Amino acid sequence: MHAEPVVHTQGLAKNFGRTAALAGLDLTVMPGEVHGFLGPNGAGKSTTLRILLGLVRPTSGTAQVFGIDPWAEPVRAHRDIAYVPGDVTLWPNLTGGEVVDLLAGLRGGADESLRRQLIDEFDFDPRKKARTYSKGNRQKAALIAAFSRPAKLYLLDEPSSGLDPVMDAVFRRHVRRVAAEGATVLLSSHILAEVEQLCSRVTIIRAGTAVESGTLAELRHLTRTRFRVTADVQPEELAAVPGIHDLRAEGKAIEFDADAAHLGAILEALASAGVTGITATPPSLEELFLRHYSDQSSPQPDVQQNAAQQDAARQSHAR
Amino acid sequence: MNAVVRLALLQARRDRGILAAWILGIAGLGYAAATAVTTQFGADGERAALVAVAAASPAFLFLRGLPDGISTGAVTFFQGYSFTAVLAGLMGTFLVVRHTRADEDLGRFELLGSTPVSRTASLYATLLLGSGANLVLALAVAAGFAGAGLPATGSFLAGAAVGLVGLFFVGLAAVVAQIMPSARSTNGTAAALVGAAYLIRGAGDALGTANMSLLQVTPALPSLFSPIGWGQRVRPFTDADPLPLLMLGGAAVVLGGAAVALRSGRDLGASYITADESGAERAGGGPASVGGLAWRLQRGTLAGWCFSAAVLGGVAGGLGPVVRDALAKNPSLMELMSRLVPGDATMVDLFTTAMLGIAGVLAAAAGIQAVLRLRAEEAEGRAEMLLAVPASRFRWLGAALAVAAITTTAVAAAAGASAAAVLAVMEAGGSSPGVVFAAALAHVPAALVFPAVTVLVFALAPRWSSPFGWAALAVALVLGQFGELLGLPVWLQDLSPFRHSSAMPVEAFDPGGALLMAAVALAAGAAAGRLIRKRDLAA
Repeated sequence: MHAEPVVHTQGLAKNFGRTAALAGLDLTVMPGEVHGFLGPNGAGKSTTLRILLGLVRPTSGTAQVFGIDPWAEPVRAHRDIAYVPGDVTLWPNLTGGEVVDLLAGLRGGADESLRRQLIDEFDFDPRKKARTYSKGNRQKAALIAAFSRPAKLYLLDEPSSGLDPVMDAVFRRHVRRVAAEGATVLLSSHILAEVEQLCSRVTIIRAGTAVESGTLAELRHLTRTRFRVTADVQPEELAAVPGIHDLRAEGKAIEFDADAAHLGAILEALASAGVTGITATPPSLEELFLRHYSDQSSPQPDVQQNAAQQDAARQSHAR
Repeated sequence: MNAVVRLALLQARRDRGILAAWILGIAGLGYAAATAVTTQFGADGERAALVAVAAASPAFLFLRGLPDGISTGAVTFFQGYSFTAVLAGLMGTFLVVRHTRADEDLGRFELLGSTPVSRTASLYATLLLGSGANLVLALAVAAGFAGAGLPATGSFLAGAAVGLVGLFFVGLAAVVAQIMPSARSTNGTAAALVGAAYLIRGAGDALGTANMSLLQVTPALPSLFSPIGWGQRVRPFTDADPLPLLMLGGAAVVLGGAAVALRSGRDLGASYITADESGAERAGGGPASVGGLAWRLQRGTLAGWCFSAAVLGGVAGGLGPVVRDALAKNPSLMELMSRLVPGDATMVDLFTTAMLGIAGVLAAAAGIQAVLRLRAEEAEGRAEMLLAVPASRFRWLGAALAVAAITTTAVAAAAGASAAAVLAVMEAGGSSPGVVFAAALAHVPAALVFPAVTVLVFALAPRWSSPFGWAALAVALVLGQFGELLGLPVWLQDLSPFRHSSAMPVEAFDPGGALLMAAVALAAGAAAGRLIRKRDLAA
């Protein structure tokens, strides 16, 4: 694919006083992608989106949206963007319908039938003053404004955090709809199921830099398979096999995680270990996320291997 | 009880900077006034002349209060009391709203309310903090007066009068906060009540009766209906009477109790006057653009400002002729006045001029309030959403500034129109209605400087825009009202934009000053429009 990326940042850094919110973030979102943007609280996700909107100026590095520098030309960059902030505050004395008309109107006007359909599907009362709305209803107003006029890029900052499961389904349906129509979506989220259902690519950000980026399949490949075996073997023997981590033994029951890259060698080792029972849990993204979300310097409670081996394993994942 | 103290300490911790500024500012103003009187009007004869001139000018009595003899303390109290009392009232009002309705609006109450404290604990804490703040204020004002060389007992009573007026408005604002539906409407209503207390006292004082020596004036009935008027009746430096202090304190306790009762009887977030909860489904011709939004957000507030300005204008137009007729019964005063008044200006014109000066200040305040909406929009996160659509920051700021200019002009026009109409109806003589209306508008260029420089500070350092805007207005007011008393150099007094607008109809219109102020306002606004592009949006 030789298409120009829709969103492209290189070495993006932002300091607020002495705190570094971003420290050299590289992020590329290609046209038509639904790109998951994940990371722990305070990793710099919202700051990144604000820079992409030209609301905040990067300390160093470059950010481009549709090839435009959003800080220099915010109005031109915004023409094809729809944005839903993470924490939606509305004008308390405007009704929800007026807020939708204002935000969609400034982008060129809502598609009337789409607006009606969204209000209907989100079960939203547009006649109520915004001060009476709950968090979820404020979010609905911002989502309706964003989806009621087609955009080329949707920047969504944890958009479903206040929605109930039924409304969440409506939200996912509309993300799929705009993606099918060819739009690009950058979706910041903490909800794994949402990311697995919607996103084709994922970037995980931590402490202001991207630590993983790739398709879901690629990321799954990075994760480990959990084995539970019953075997007549000294646990130390298995622990010495490369690619085996977090080994725990209780009598003959042994549990461990296996790197995908070393699965062949591990299976060979098991074959000669007198195995009488085996279960293997497929690789899950959750494990990968938890690994990235938790602090590197403090070992997880269930980790019994020594820290050096852990670090070595991580380095083999870092690319 | 323990919880109340802890909550009060928490509120005090949040307020320590702002309360220190208020208290030092008010006490500093008192100290400066006392020092000016003791040093620049050291001789009895000088003070007697100052007081006699004032007693012969009902407009001055309206603005300032009543002369009560020529001792240094009495002259200081006459010159400084009303303004310090108004400031104390505003301090109490804003303090209470910050910790009651504003916290409720922002949802902080809910978090506190979930802890094991009673429903009224937080309100008790606010009343406690308000009492503490006004106690410190009373002591600071007393210390300022005594430090400038005034008698100790009188200084203490004068400080108590100011502090108890503050406490009265703490109680009143606490009641208003239970009744009004939002922090904005609570602040507006309670501040308007402070203004009304000042105006009612002014009317009573302007209609007061001077004694034969013209060195002491007894207030007329209306000032009995104003807490600021009560405080004045303490007469701390002449014939001290502590009864009004007890009345103020008692009224504050009653109001505080009423607020607590009202709070116990309502739901969290509810109010006794409810706002409209539903409205139009479509934006229509209203908030469908950045400019339409700015107008829509301001229009209700604008109506409130214009109503206040029209009341002020009505007082200006209606009171002048009444005062003139009352004075006609005192020939010695009439004789003195005819010597003092410049040229052929009539008594009614003098009164109108002074009152329209206040309208100019009101117009400036309305303009500042209108541009500070930008700050609220940014701090509360709405600007982020608005500026993520193809709307430029320049348009956003420009729309707010345009609405502020409309607000300022409309407030001045409302005061002028109402004054002109009342004067015409009363057939009071003096200047023609057209001239009176023009006189109000003559203050617009100077008033516009305030929103313009406030928005400039907003473009550079948004956090400072609100303190700067209000402080600028306070400084201009002090320079204008006290500049000559304090003997400040002319260049310093000239820093106040109001010095450059013409005091019509007594003075002729001076286009030079108006053009200069309009140019300053335009330049500041244009600079803000350029600079707003160059900073991060505050998260």
